[in-house]
Amino acid sequence: MIIFENVEYTYPNGFKALSSINLEIKDGELVALMGENGAGKTTLLKHLNGLLKPSSGRVIVNGVDTRHATVASLSRDVGIVFQNAEDMFFSPTVWEEISFALHNFGYQEEVIKKRVGWALKFMELEDYRDKSPFLLSGGEKKRLALAIVLAWSPKIVALDEPTVGQDVLQKEKMIQIIRQANQQGKTIIISSHDVEFIADLQPRIILMSKGKIIKDGYAEEVLTDLSLLKECRLIPPQMVSLTYELGFLGIKPHLGQPEDIALEIIRRLR
Amino acid sequence: MATTMMYIEVTVITIIIVVEAVLSAVARVFGRWSRTVYGASPLIVFVFLANFLFRISLPGHALSLQSIYESLQQAYRLIAFLASFSIFFLTTTPEELGMALTKMRVPYMYVFAFISAIRFTPILAEELQSIIDSQKSRGLELEKGNILTRLKRFIPILVPLMVNVLRRSYELAEAIEVKCFGAKKNRTYLRELKMKSKDWIALSLSIILFSLAIYFKYIYKINLP
Repeated sequence: MIIFENVEYTYPNGFKALSSINLEIKDGELVALMGENGAGKTTLLKHLNGLLKPSSGRVIVNGVDTRHATVASLSRDVGIVFQNAEDMFFSPTVWEEISFALHNFGYQEEVIKKRVGWALKFMELEDYRDKSPFLLSGGEKKRLALAIVLAWSPKIVALDEPTVGQDVLQKEKMIQIIRQANQQGKTIIISSHDVEFIADLQPRIILMSKGKIIKDGYAEEVLTDLSLLKECRLIPPQMVSLTYELGFLGIKPHLGQPEDIALEIIRRLR
Repeated sequence: MATTMMYIEVTVITIIIVVEAVLSAVARVFGRWSRTVYGASPLIVFVFLANFLFRISLPGHALSLQSIYESLQQAYRLIAFLASFSIFFLTTTPEELGMALTKMRVPYMYVFAFISAIRFTPILAEELQSIIDSQKSRGLELEKGNILTRLKRFIPILVPLMVNVLRRSYELAEAIEVKCFGAKKNRTYLRELKMKSKDWIALSLSIILFSLAIYFKYIYKINLP
């Protein structure tokens, strides 16, 4: 369980990045933080493992007040995959890169072997275990960054812009992995402004603008509110735009699969 | 700056700091200038302590008011020194500095390297912070252990930083090459610096004051408190 109580955060240069944040995320939820650049999404994510401490208010993660805990102790429960995967890499091989955090958290060698092996298999990186992380492709690097975090099995996994620089197939793979991890009981929090990706995942959406939460609701409700999306400088998903244009046929704007919408059009035209 | 290096007398250093405060107020950077000097206070305290400990550890030197006074003098001089640097960088952009160097016939290749180094410093600081955040999120504790262990723990920070720096420099090299960098020996400039009357006045005043500083320090040798 994650609780934000009246959280405000101001950077040392005076920029107020978060104001009046009140939020509750239950265990096993799939949540997306959406909003324009500078809305405060990454700042909010950094509060989860104590990288940033609130200027006022408090953040409680699994019963622990982040103001009184170290980043290392909070990170056992909260794994963050940052936007730039390469910021993590320094080891000569993929295997060593994944095992680094497990050593930091004090796991036994036998457990480390099992967990690294599982993470490599889960992220389909087995063939690259002895390769340098720097020689992987963009998509593989993102998967490695996620493997690094999933290897120590944190209860909460936060992903910062996971689709940046990813092609369509890689995005599909990412959706599959996120769903699987969520089904395993992990709380997943994604920060993104990729509306198509979020529309496919259909999570609970927290819409942010200028450091404030302006809407908290499910994908169908949030992504079909065009004025709200415009306020956050987000383009509605293609299916929502299509159904909006089809309003003259009596079709309401909604998130749907292209096949379903095609069938609905045929039914209405008959 | 040069005068600060020559004198240690409290009166001269005080005059230099007052003049710098007035200059920063005229340049409308007094707030930022004073914050920079205040921000350096831990370093100033460190210099005082290091000087003091060094002085009393020398053979024949005991704990005395004299050693405290001399250490304070060194720390006070550092304030003037930092304030000079601060006022220079708060009022001069890297581009203006580059233009001045070009005017002094420094080859543009070196000027460009110099400007880039200054311009990339804040970007590198930002990258360094995001690398530290990434590694701390993987359970890396930089504050724990003895000096050797701590140094070893900096490897996961330094390797990605080096990789980022190298990648950025290759990208920059490619970017300037496609813009025909170095295509002609003599390039033209969009903006060029020209000396105006107030520049000549400022330059003359600086030369006169600096000459007086040299005269009173090495030739006339006046005794100041």
